[in-house]
Amino acid sequence: MTVLSMKDKRRKHVRETRQDRIFNVVNLLFWGIVLFIVLYPLWLILIASVSDPDAVLQARVLIWPVDFSLMGYEAVFQNSELLGSYLNSIFYTVAGSALSVIISLAAAYALSRKFAGKKLVNLAITFTMFFSGGLIPIFLNVRDLGLYNTRAVMILMNLVSVWNLMVARTYIQTSIPNDLYEAAVIDGADHFTYFFRCVLPLSGTIVAVLSVYYGVARWNDYFTGLVMLRDRGLYPLQLVLREILASLTSTGSSDTFFAAYADNLGGLQAALRKAEVAKYCCIVVATVPAVVLYIFMQKYFVKGVMIGSLKG
Amino acid sequence: MSVSASVRPRSGGLRRRTALALRRDWQLWVLMLPCLAFFIVFCYFPMYGVQIAFRDYKAAFGITGSQWVGLKYFEKFFSSYYCGRMFLNTFLLNFFGLLFGFPVPILLAIMLNQLRGKRFKGFAQTAIYVPHFISTVVLAGMIYLFFSPTNGIINSLITAAGGKSIYFIMEADWFRPLFIGSEIWQNAGWNTILYIATLTSIDPQLYEAATIDGATRWNKIRHIDLPHLVPIAVMMLILNCGSLLSSNTDKALLLQTSGNMATSDILGVYVYNVGIAASKAQYSYASAIGLCLNVINFVIIMLVNGVSRRLSDISLF
Repeated sequence: MTVLSMKDKRRKHVRETRQDRIFNVVNLLFWGIVLFIVLYPLWLILIASVSDPDAVLQARVLIWPVDFSLMGYEAVFQNSELLGSYLNSIFYTVAGSALSVIISLAAAYALSRKFAGKKLVNLAITFTMFFSGGLIPIFLNVRDLGLYNTRAVMILMNLVSVWNLMVARTYIQTSIPNDLYEAAVIDGADHFTYFFRCVLPLSGTIVAVLSVYYGVARWNDYFTGLVMLRDRGLYPLQLVLREILASLTSTGSSDTFFAAYADNLGGLQAALRKAEVAKYCCIVVATVPAVVLYIFMQKYFVKGVMIGSLKG
Repeated sequence: MSVSASVRPRSGGLRRRTALALRRDWQLWVLMLPCLAFFIVFCYFPMYGVQIAFRDYKAAFGITGSQWVGLKYFEKFFSSYYCGRMFLNTFLLNFFGLLFGFPVPILLAIMLNQLRGKRFKGFAQTAIYVPHFISTVVLAGMIYLFFSPTNGIINSLITAAGGKSIYFIMEADWFRPLFIGSEIWQNAGWNTILYIATLTSIDPQLYEAATIDGATRWNKIRHIDLPHLVPIAVMMLILNCGSLLSSNTDKALLLQTSGNMATSDILGVYVYNVGIAASKAQYSYASAIGLCLNVINFVIIMLVNGVSRRLSDISLF
């Protein structure tokens, strides 16, 4: 970053040519279009979620909310199934990511040190990146272990990602000096002491990066639940969303979904009306946690990803 | 007998060395233990279980107890009516995805690097990463909403312009554009990270020398940025070629409808439909298809990696 800003400062002394000024205008125009394409769909979702259902149905909501109303959110928050799945997702995400981060970090530390058999362990772990048993053997394995349709499977599946493990190992190798280890060993530290007293306190950045990586992946995953769960009570949010959003069949659509809660929503007619905007509200409610987490953590995030990518 | 006699002292030595190493490193092994246990139980157990592709799996007999049938299910798959169509669909979806999706992050990274205002640059960079954090279900939901034939924004624009409303999600011709377009929208920004990292590592003196020699912005892109990006771009391209037959099953599953089967019928979704979703799941048959795919993908990655190592010294391992 310092290199960049130095470059900018020196540049100012050189007057830009006509061609360069034209280029700058074209570039700004280019970014105007790119940012519109990226952000407008998100903005559209947001304003539709707080507009009147009729305006949304007639596609009159384009730039600003029309006839501001929160009835969609009302429908979402009165829906016990959605709320239940929301709580499930929070549990799977928080518990699962915490476990993932701890396990990955401990293993990453071990893999950053020299020991007999390291090559074999590395090979065995990397191999799983390129070859897997496939969907059906994985499913049968989970069933044989007695984990099918349990909360445990939602936490244990995808517990460690090879990529994240590598990122963490590279981080520990490059940003914690080996001198520290040697000094600690002279002071009588063993691996446990060194890991818990020296490596962990210095790993703030990588813990943040891994938490976002694991957390977002878990929050957004629906496929594991789709294959491994049968009880609707255990469903994560994304799986319920799938029925509301991404379905054309009459048995699984937002209309049927919200019509089932007609009593709480002021009758069937009102429920169907609210269902129209409730779709947009669902998207907002499901997406905000991941995006907010990213924006808060982005400083660490991009840095950590760079560390991993430069090595890989 | 003589063989085992000659082996015994060596294995004893190995055992002693192992014991010594374990006494020295046991704490490292303890730290790795949960991670290794995960890989063994959730990755290597299923690899052992993949043998049901060669057996007639019956739950009552278990994996090793079911009857051995050899290549029966592989033959059944390759002689099935839709086999060719599924291979073609899977390949074309990935091929077009690569063709259209690959250049976009490079373009974005170069143009981002040319932005002068620091604030605006930071904002643009943050903004193009955001779609990456949206879930597949929500992305599919957005497609259903925006491209809806009755009240989607796209169709209201088309009808407002005097055109005829299109039922995008039910038309086979529109499956690939929707799938690939949304893929680019979601991930092109995120995929710039590697290229941006490369561009920021270029020595600023190069740009200064070029400026003094009278180079315009465009000249600098052409003669400084692009040559620096080529090695990493080639590596990404080669790596992407390694996944030409893999499939983004979870997304395709959401976008598949009865109307677009002609193009959306891809191998990964078929495995799910036959092995998990079907009321009478055919475990062995679905495992055989999955195994085929995994082996093909594995071979492609190894080949591509080997070629890349020979040609450009760039390789994964």
